[in-house]
Amino acid sequence: MNDRIQSRLLQWSALFLFLQSVILTLSPAVRERSWDVDYRLSHWIGYLAWVALTVLTHRVTTKSMAERDPYLFPAAALLSGWGILTIWRLDESFGIRQILWLGVSLILFALALRIRPNLSILRRYKYLFLSGGLFITALTLAFGTNPLGFGPRLWLGCCGVYFQPSEPLKLLLVIYLSAYLADRASIQLFSFPLLVPTLVVTGLALLLLLVQRDLGTASIFVCIFTIVIFIATGKRRILISATLFLLLALLVGYFFIDIIHIRVVGWLNPWDDPSGDSYQIIQSLLAVANGGALGRGLGIGSPLLVPVAISDFIFAAIAEETGLIGTLGLIATIWLILARGLITSLRATDRFRRYLAVGVVAYFGVQSLLIIGGNVRLLPLTGVTLPFVSYGGSSLLTSYIALYFLLAISNTEEVEPAQLHDPRPHSILAGVLAIGLAASALSAGWWAIVRGPDLLTRTDNPRRAIADRYVLRGELVDKNNTPINVTEGQSASYLRTYLYPQLAPVTGYTHNVYGQAGLEASLDNYLRGLQGNPTSLILWNQLLYGTPPPGLDVRLSIDITLQSAADQLLGGHRGAILLMNADTGEILVMVSHPVFDPNKLSEEGEALSQDQYSPLLNRATLGLYPIGTGTLPIIQAEFGERQPTDTELKAFYEKLGFYQAPILSMPAVYDVENSQVEQLRISPLQMSIAAAALSSGGVSPAPRIATAVNTIEQGWVILPALGMPSNVLQEQAANDAAQAFLKQGKSYWSHTGQASLNETIITWHLAGTQPDWQGASLVLVVALEENNTFLAQFIADNLMSAVLSQ
Amino acid sequence: MSGSIVLALRLITALVLFGFLGWALYYLYREVHRQSASIASRRVPGISIAIRHEPGKSILKHFSQPEIILGRDPGSDIPLMDDTASARHALLSYHHTQWWLEDLTSTNGTFLNNLPITMPTVITSGDEIRCGGTSLTITLSENIIVEPTLRIGKKP
Repeated sequence: MNDRIQSRLLQWSALFLFLQSVILTLSPAVRERSWDVDYRLSHWIGYLAWVALTVLTHRVTTKSMAERDPYLFPAAALLSGWGILTIWRLDESFGIRQILWLGVSLILFALALRIRPNLSILRRYKYLFLSGGLFITALTLAFGTNPLGFGPRLWLGCCGVYFQPSEPLKLLLVIYLSAYLADRASIQLFSFPLLVPTLVVTGLALLLLLVQRDLGTASIFVCIFTIVIFIATGKRRILISATLFLLLALLVGYFFIDIIHIRVVGWLNPWDDPSGDSYQIIQSLLAVANGGALGRGLGIGSPLLVPVAISDFIFAAIAEETGLIGTLGLIATIWLILARGLITSLRATDRFRRYLAVGVVAYFGVQSLLIIGGNVRLLPLTGVTLPFVSYGGSSLLTSYIALYFLLAISNTEEVEPAQLHDPRPHSILAGVLAIGLAASALSAGWWAIVRGPDLLTRTDNPRRAIADRYVLRGELVDKNNTPINVTEGQSASYLRTYLYPQLAPVTGYTHNVYGQAGLEASLDNYLRGLQGNPTSLILWNQLLYGTPPPGLDVRLSIDITLQSAADQLLGGHRGAILLMNADTGEILVMVSHPVFDPNKLSEEGEALSQDQYSPLLNRATLGLYPIGTGTLPIIQAEFGERQPTDTELKAFYEKLGFYQAPILSMPAVYDVENSQVEQLRISPLQMSIAAAALSSGGVSPAPRIATAVNTIEQGWVILPALGMPSNVLQEQAANDAAQAFLKQGKSYWSHTGQASLNETIITWHLAGTQPDWQGASLVLVVALEENNTFLAQFIADNLMSAVLSQ
Repeated sequence: MSGSIVLALRLITALVLFGFLGWALYYLYREVHRQSASIASRRVPGISIAIRHEPGKSILKHFSQPEIILGRDPGSDIPLMDDTASARHALLSYHHTQWWLEDLTSTNGTFLNNLPITMPTVITSGDEIRCGGTSLTITLSENIIVEPTLRIGKKP
């Protein structure tokens, strides 16, 4: 029966890992959405090695330990196989190392099963073991290194093989405590016999904490000690006082020990410092959120974004790729080991074995809870490994030795367990561990399901930039469908290319380091396929690939021929040009100089952001210029020849929209700093909306730049104007003003104005078609950051004649 | 296409993971079931006790319960009508697959084959117990197979 349970459970784990390996093999095809990819195959070595080692160990257990607990080994084998595949997926070389360590662990495990050393040896030589462990740990103080080259120096070793003595030290502490307590008939609280181990453990914990800065191991020591003493004495006071002690230590550490301070702050307030001390925990939460309910599938997520994903954050990596459903299974498997361990302890034939089993359960349970809780921000982060799963030879070997103890204790023909005075401590311990695991599962669910969608839109979520490399982004095209910004290359290396770089201040950019700007930012949802696509398609793509669907093309009202003419006319001068359809508000030309080349953003980005002439700024909508005599034709249309008072002027400006930002599908501003009419500044866009009233019979149109989006189902769909047109002038007054500013020999009205602010002189030039013009009515605004009425006039005349002769 | 295939694989993988846990739970359920059944069916080998209050005259009693109390108390399993016996004098109990005799700190002591006992002692067929003035002769039923507690994980 035992053998059947064990072999059946092992078959299920083998099937699970087989399917995970198949998914990992196919993962490049899913990521790049093509069958023509390099499939991942190397991890099959790991899978086959796992199968061979597991079959071997299964054989040995069935032969030498007929009465063992049949659940423990399959659960541990499932966890370590899962760990190996995850590590292999993250880093192949570490996967190979881990499978070697699993080989060493399982062969030692099998040898121990064969030879069946008597556990009472442990009991007899407890001080030898303990002092040996302490000695090796002390050696790390002197010769400790870190294989990564930085961080806490907790390892001993050379020539590429490293060992962390604090891992087996936990087990040696368990052995020592069990033997010590089993040797004493009854344990009284506050007695001398309890003082010695208390001092040993507290001293050890403090030493680890202060000298090695190993917060995790120190707290595990205190917890294991508390649990074993609690089981031995049955006094609940111990649990309570140990909890108080840990809280006190946390509080003291918060104020006096920087490593604890950092961890506690990062735990309580991770959002304050997402790129510094809280970087790890936030990236971990983002990974859990990206996993969602089902997970992305092994090899399809991006768990490598989380620092040290192979050991400390392997739970986050598993959560991202197998989702909540996988983490629930993982937590349930850990619970299986803990529960069977406690049953083994209850059935143990003597007190030493009972305490030893409880100690091993405490070691597995506390360490799993600390690191899972740390990964999902249930507890402050402590850098410990997840038993059986995390990368780390010392951890894996120690876990299997501890598992051997449990199997050896459970393997007994004896019918009657040792006498148990009080059943409550075992129930309480089981309850505490179960509550801890359930809280971890709930917490994982909270971040994956409830907060997940919210978290993933954070700008420090690098997965958006990664998705951009794999999913085609929509194009920006001009009014005649001439491409402006396109995405080129193959899936996995898609690159945004800007075919008309002079338009960069307007269309902006999308970049993995510098983020997004301009229309690329404001139209991002369309270009990324999150808007305009059916919800079912978006959900389906999220489910299959964890990315949005291919993006949709957006058509702009820009006329690239006129735009390029305007760019040439403005040349190296600083300023802005806006040409707008006065009836519909469609913006045909939007020029902002100086410009930059977004294709070279990676190299020039830093310099551009510090350039004193701010080339990144779109002067047409975000640049604010003093009004001066620029608005003369409009004012004259309203007030005639008389000089309006400031109050009248302010009311009129409000009507013209100078005190509010124009609403269109790109960022635009108004002058929030100055409300006095003399100091008020306006953007060229505001000016052209107001000036359009002269050409359109007194109506200011609602500006538009994104005019249509190319949806899958309905083709090009019109994007309506976001704002409302408003009647700002009497029709007759507007027509009269347009007539009044009609210059000799021209078919359009025009006006040159000037304004000065802080010794800078601004030249405005306004021009527009007559109300009775047969073609599309147009309005043009030129704003130059220099005193150059001639140039403004020249630009306007050239552009107007170009557009009117079209 | 690859996405749909892998989605199906992902779902199957999740099912298999819970298949592992489901089987473990199923076996645990069967363990509980079997353990309770085996404890319920655990039988105590019968014990026959010949009680001799006075020489030559004896009553034979048969017991199948795991604990038998001897004493002057009328509620005892074997009431001892004897002034030299204590109210709760001695205990016969079955555990660890044996019948054990234990003195319940009686005033005049319990004797097994004429030797006073100070700790729980295993008894066998033909042993003679004396409590005060009463002698009891034990006969263990040999035709009943002494069944050890059924343990989980063992083929029945």
